[in-house]
Amino acid sequence: MLVGDFPEVLRRAAAGDASAFARLWRDTHPPLLRYLWVSAGDAAEDVAAEVWLEVARRIGSFRGGEHEFRGWLFTMARRKMIDRHRYEARRPVSPTGDGELLDRPAADDTVTAALEYISTETALALIATLPRDQAEIIVLRVVVGLDASAVAQIVGKSPGAVRVAAHRGLRTLRERVAGATVTSPGRGGVTL
Amino acid sequence: MRVFAASLAEMWSSARKRNRLSPDEATAELLLARRHLGRHEPASQRTLELVLAAAAGPATERELARETAAVTAFLAALPEPEPARRRGPRRLPVLAVAFVLAALVALCGTAEAGALPAPLQRLAHQAINAPAPSPAMRVPRPSADVTPGPGATGSRAAPGSSGPSQESRTGKPSANPKPTHTSDSQGNGNGQPTASDSARPTATDNGKGNGGTPGQGGNPSDHPTGNNGNGNGNGNGNGQN
Repeated sequence: MLVGDFPEVLRRAAAGDASAFARLWRDTHPPLLRYLWVSAGDAAEDVAAEVWLEVARRIGSFRGGEHEFRGWLFTMARRKMIDRHRYEARRPVSPTGDGELLDRPAADDTVTAALEYISTETALALIATLPRDQAEIIVLRVVVGLDASAVAQIVGKSPGAVRVAAHRGLRTLRERVAGATVTSPGRGGVTL
Repeated sequence: MRVFAASLAEMWSSARKRNRLSPDEATAELLLARRHLGRHEPASQRTLELVLAAAAGPATERELARETAAVTAFLAALPEPEPARRRGPRRLPVLAVAFVLAALVALCGTAEAGALPAPLQRLAHQAINAPAPSPAMRVPRPSADVTPGPGATGSRAAPGSSGPSQESRTGKPSANPKPTHTSDSQGNGNGQPTASDSARPTATDNGKGNGGTPGQGGNPSDHPTGNNGNGNGNGNGNGQN
């Protein structure tokens, strides 16, 4: 988070300063990519590129602080993702091999494996096994750092519904990691 | 009353239960807010905390690999800078001048073709030597039509109108208000010039009037009998009364 520097960085980026935009991008792109990876899968990079192009076109008209900027960015990302899903639904791709199955680990694979080292990708893969709305809400809250009301505005639900979905998702996750050995970098392993 | 009080108490207790988070829910809120759990929490919750912390970990090299491409795309997608946007207001005077010039050219062309309304055509005639307005383009006068006069057979003059107004119906140019046959009434009986003058049709004419009252030998009568615009116009009266 840029916090105090955000207004100045935003102003310079809106004026076309490449370094300010790069700073904004470095701060916001990783959570955006993670959110899209959980929600849109392999299309995450493409959707993220579309989102940043849209940001470049409209950043001059944006008004607000850092939280509002994140809400604006992830609202755009969600709309792009929905458009992408609609497009793919109209033109379904039928893979000939087993690549699709290998790309994203199934819940059983993720949970039953003894995770000696949990990376960001692994954790996201685990979250991605949840129902899409629960996974989306958990990423927006935990990875992006938005509160329940901001997430509610993005996903078009009430804050109460967002809380319920998040709690259900966390309960499911806890059940799935039960029995697995998880070790986080820099921390001791936890054996269940 | 007891039933009401009991239901009220039940509602109160259920509302309190709803507002109060269960231990799981409280822990879930802590996890969602990325706060560390205490050591007293079950191991499953702590494992979940590790998973969520890993998901919210610092950016990886792979995630930041496309920074250069993103900045390049940003610079390419930026809207045009401010000076370029100022072209809009500058174009306005040029467009206005072009519009005025086009309107002038169209007006001159119309004037040269003689298709302007008579007053404008006259103005154009004086200003740019355009053709003079033709008599056929004169504006019709609002009075003096429709009702035929009682004393004039076939005449369209208004009732009670005198000779000159009827004469104006006969096709005489309105520029000459003098009735053409007044000379006849005076016994001069000439009639020739009046016939030639009144042979011109006017806009108020019915299209057939080409003559005034023929000079019938200097008839002193001032009645333009039978003058409905079908007059001969070649007044051949000799003016001998």
